[in-house]
Amino acid sequence: MTSLRHDPVTFDIIQNSLQAISDEMFAAMRKTSMSAVIYEVLDMGTGICAANGEIASSGAGIPAFIGVLDKAAKAVIRKHPIATIHPGDIFATNDPFYGGVTHLNDMVLVMPVFVEGEIVAWTANIAHWNDVGGMVPGSMSTDATTIFQEGIRVPAIKLVEKGVASQAVIDLLTVNSRLPAFLKGDLWAAIAAVRIGDKRILDLVKKYGKDTFVTAMNHFMDYGEQVTLKALKDLPKGVFPFAEEQDNGLIYKVSIEITDDAFIVDLADNPDQTLSPSNASRDGVTVAAQMAIKAVTDVAAPANGGSFRPLVLKTRPGSVFDAQEPAAHGFYYEVEIRVFDLILRCLAPHLGDRLSAGSFASICGTVIGGPHPDTGRHYTIVEPEIGGWGGMLGRDGNSAIFSGFHGETFNCPAEVAEARYGLFVEQLALNPEEGGEGEWRGGKGIRLDYRVRADGNFLTCGYTRSRILPWGMEGGRDGTPNYIDVIKTDGSQKRYAFATGVALNEGDIVRVVTGNGGGYGDPAKRDRAAILDDIKNGYLSPARARDVYGVEV
Amino acid sequence: MNARTIRVATDVGGTFTDLVYFETDHATGRQTVRTAKSDTTPPNFEQGVLNVLDKAGVDPAEIAFFAHGTTVVINALTERKGAKTALITTSGFRDILEIARGNRPDFFNLKYEKPAPFVPRHLRREVPGRIAYTGEERTPLDLSVLPAILADYRAEGVEAIAVCLLHAYAAPRHEEAVVAEIRRLWPEVSVVASHQITREWREYERSSTTVLSAYVQPVASRYLGRLESGLGSKDFKGQLYVMQSNCGVDSLTATREIPITMVESGPASGFWGAAELGRIIGEPNVLALDIGGTTAKCSLIENGQVKIMTDYWIERDRRSSGYPIMVPVVDLVEIGNGGGSIAWVDDFGKLHVGPKSAGAMPGPAGYGRGGTEATTTDANLALGRIDKDYFCGGTIAADMVAVDGALAKLATKLGISPIEAARGIVRIANNNMINALKLVSLNRGYDPRDFTLVAFGGGGGMHAVALASELGMKKVVIPRGASVFSAWGMMMSDLRRDYFVTKLIEDGVGHPEALASLIGEAKARALAQFAAEGVAADRVKLVPFIKCRYQNQEHAVEVAYEGDMVDAAGIAAMIDRFHAAYEREYTYRLDAPVEIVGLHLVASAEVGKLEINPLPVTDATLDTAIKGSRAVDYALDGIHQATIYDLEKLEPGMSFTGPAVLEDPGTTVVILPGNRVSIDAYGNTHIELAA
Repeated sequence: MTSLRHDPVTFDIIQNSLQAISDEMFAAMRKTSMSAVIYEVLDMGTGICAANGEIASSGAGIPAFIGVLDKAAKAVIRKHPIATIHPGDIFATNDPFYGGVTHLNDMVLVMPVFVEGEIVAWTANIAHWNDVGGMVPGSMSTDATTIFQEGIRVPAIKLVEKGVASQAVIDLLTVNSRLPAFLKGDLWAAIAAVRIGDKRILDLVKKYGKDTFVTAMNHFMDYGEQVTLKALKDLPKGVFPFAEEQDNGLIYKVSIEITDDAFIVDLADNPDQTLSPSNASRDGVTVAAQMAIKAVTDVAAPANGGSFRPLVLKTRPGSVFDAQEPAAHGFYYEVEIRVFDLILRCLAPHLGDRLSAGSFASICGTVIGGPHPDTGRHYTIVEPEIGGWGGMLGRDGNSAIFSGFHGETFNCPAEVAEARYGLFVEQLALNPEEGGEGEWRGGKGIRLDYRVRADGNFLTCGYTRSRILPWGMEGGRDGTPNYIDVIKTDGSQKRYAFATGVALNEGDIVRVVTGNGGGYGDPAKRDRAAILDDIKNGYLSPARARDVYGVEV
Repeated sequence: MNARTIRVATDVGGTFTDLVYFETDHATGRQTVRTAKSDTTPPNFEQGVLNVLDKAGVDPAEIAFFAHGTTVVINALTERKGAKTALITTSGFRDILEIARGNRPDFFNLKYEKPAPFVPRHLRREVPGRIAYTGEERTPLDLSVLPAILADYRAEGVEAIAVCLLHAYAAPRHEEAVVAEIRRLWPEVSVVASHQITREWREYERSSTTVLSAYVQPVASRYLGRLESGLGSKDFKGQLYVMQSNCGVDSLTATREIPITMVESGPASGFWGAAELGRIIGEPNVLALDIGGTTAKCSLIENGQVKIMTDYWIERDRRSSGYPIMVPVVDLVEIGNGGGSIAWVDDFGKLHVGPKSAGAMPGPAGYGRGGTEATTTDANLALGRIDKDYFCGGTIAADMVAVDGALAKLATKLGISPIEAARGIVRIANNNMINALKLVSLNRGYDPRDFTLVAFGGGGGMHAVALASELGMKKVVIPRGASVFSAWGMMMSDLRRDYFVTKLIEDGVGHPEALASLIGEAKARALAQFAAEGVAADRVKLVPFIKCRYQNQEHAVEVAYEGDMVDAAGIAAMIDRFHAAYEREYTYRLDAPVEIVGLHLVASAEVGKLEINPLPVTDATLDTAIKGSRAVDYALDGIHQATIYDLEKLEPGMSFTGPAVLEDPGTTVVILPGNRVSIDAYGNTHIELAA
């Protein structure tokens, strides 16, 4: 007999509730975190996984974090015999070789949800911690050659046992951080968030019954799969190979095969892992491919484990996309976003109006630190940057927006930055460089000037698309590069893309420049009114209008 | 003193302009209520107000207290019908308005379109000069650039200028100088500076707020001016107040200057009404729910206090980042779920309700105006929850053929029966509203079981009991006149202003003088503003809340500062309350330094608001209120024969037990089996839920 509660409406209600719980965990964690990179940049995510670890729902600031939590849950399941896992336990991992996926700065917490002695789900979250030890402040060094230089490794261990936090582990974590107070605050915010999720799921199970709850969750995954499969039917079928040179001279290659029921991303033929922090784990590259499949299928439907079932990923162990121990991972995200962009660039010519010309497509991770002249305390900025997106059929690209890897992420207001950090923000303007013209032009990147207020500051950065530009499409012009200029008080100037610990002194300017997106379509076809409007608004100079668009004013 | 006092509230909505008239006879204490409705008359909305007064037979000359709510501001914004606006800002920052915060809620969508700024780049201009975050001047202001900028603005036909300079929240003197110079050079142009609206930091949010305020100022000012002269021409001599988004009313003069504060005034009056009702009936902790035709809105009231915040956005949802307006707005969650919300089935056989609404035309299928899609109202009709023979108070003959057809269409797609589809719609709609109620309670660290649900609006009574039961709440109150409750709330409002000021004080206990001067200055500003409106200092109630946070955190928690003396001991006590409040909301506390981030000062004065009197009681028995009985489908709780009561005939002291349905022309209240219903001295319906 079909129980009354096994109806589609009950399933919908449970599924909506899973989303609401993930959102609630997200809200709680955001409010209580110590670090601006978590609460402002929203370099964090929350989620609920099924008993087998598959992701069921997520609350996130960053889409790139949605596919991380399931891998952490699965790593815990692999490592810990079921008999050793108890109600009230919470596990922690930050290690890409133990389900941590990303780099050591990102701590993942996973909590089993028990009903009648059985795990029915996991609640989980991830957040970027400012400093987890390692060879440089902020833990991410462009000079790292092994993971041991990047901080303390937490390999999917038990942090809380039956509700009691392990003081030993907490002491170990805090003593290894240069910013122990931040770490402690961020840790408790994360613990509180998984506990809230646990409590809410128990309420839900109590109301609908375990069996109904589990069935509804599985049903939800199947729904995600159906959405992707349906969208795949509308995509052109075939094998699409593509290769692209990178800023560092390596050639990245991809071959994508789209069939009626699979999206196969073959990354096997790629360079060996490097003695640098520019490596990614297979799990990490999986996330990049998951985001790409989402972007070309159904962006509006919820993303869960089922949505990604049609994805088949091929990598070669020991390659830069499937790095093995002890590869360094500090700047994994620039590798991941390159893979994401590689897939988009590979598919863009074949998918009509689904994709745009090239975007600035870099996290542009920027770290500046030093003494705050007003408080005497040390400050650290850890922030991604906003930039220009590519033009697309029918529309100019967005200006000044975070990359496709970020989402509900907010830049730091100048007024807050000046109070919090030992810097003046001298300007935040759209990037005036020429490039990215087309029938529909690329959006503008930014020019952001930080003036350092004291001696003894430092800069670390990791920008890609600094040499190989955002691509123009269908005759549109290429966009412009991402880079940082450090302008010293003596007027000398030096350009950086990947650098660690660049010394800065009082009066120096750190100029962050992010790319203008590539143009779409032949500039000669651009609407004259749009060209005149661009000139009037100072997005385009009359000289450039003449040279590129052939329009005299 | 007059033998009677007449108070009137009018509310200009999208379709109708509503009026509630309240007359108190001082000799007998008897209070008479009248309501009226007439068409809203765009673009001359004041005409609709005068019409409805006429229709209700109200002589403006007799009105003592006139409260007015209008959607003129939100309409001008959403329909993009404001003034041609320019922005003057600090050198290096003219692109802030376009850059915004770089966020993208629709985060898988690579074809996301960023909202366009309200001011194009060529009208965003810069003046040299810098204030530091401490309020000190870094670079002197250079006004010599202004004449050329204003000449360009004149040539472009600019009608309003917004001025927003960096760190003006900390020290407004550069902004003041720019405004003075603009007024000198171009006296006719409408101009507003950010510090006149908000003293909080974050330059994008403040710029957006100032720009949107400038954008609506000419429109709103003209409207309020015409309303004033229209009433004046009919010899109105009473006090005229305008409803604000912070649950207070403000004078017409103040509102004309900064009209943006009206932006969310509609929901605010209802939530204030719920807080006042709670005070009268002894329920200080209230979850307030307002269900209308297209949306449901909810808000939490703790200890009789509405929560006023400044992180309000328009046009923000899962698909768009929207535009911030940093003015005091009641903390509310709004979802696209009302009586007219359309139910639909997606490509994968999942049932959804809303956010698309059938609106007034064609409206729900049951209206018989050609609507073919099933709405929440249609589901309620099919389940017998709404009486098909008393639809809209008997003014509309429910078109049950259309209802059945719409439900059958949906049922086929779902592979279930039409009645199951109707139950599904009600359950999904309820679930959407439950999630909204959780957002204002559980997500903010409050347990709904500690609150009473006060539900109003046309659809409040229909769903309230089921929602409360799902959330484990023990009690529901449906106010008398629930369908015009917002207007009632307006008449209960105080003259109220909320002052938010950002000020970092790292060590409050070590420097009590810093907080003392912050509070002192804000109080002096509030009292001066009230004095300018003829409200003496002894009538003004001032309540300071301090925003505190653990050092390095971003999110601040508001804690009341208690006592008149601001000293180290008082601040230490406040910090103790911060730890406790923080722990209650987030389950832990930290052994970290606590810093002060700013002030929220609530200044209010009673300006002749309504004192509500008990209703008279006749010797009528409960039987006289019974209209009959019918079978009502309670979705998961089965089908029951419910007794039908006429709400207008229920008197104080009457009580009975569900299953029941209570009806008046504007409201239907569905009571579950076992619920205990009683009518209080003021005619409100109290429903105790079965445990």
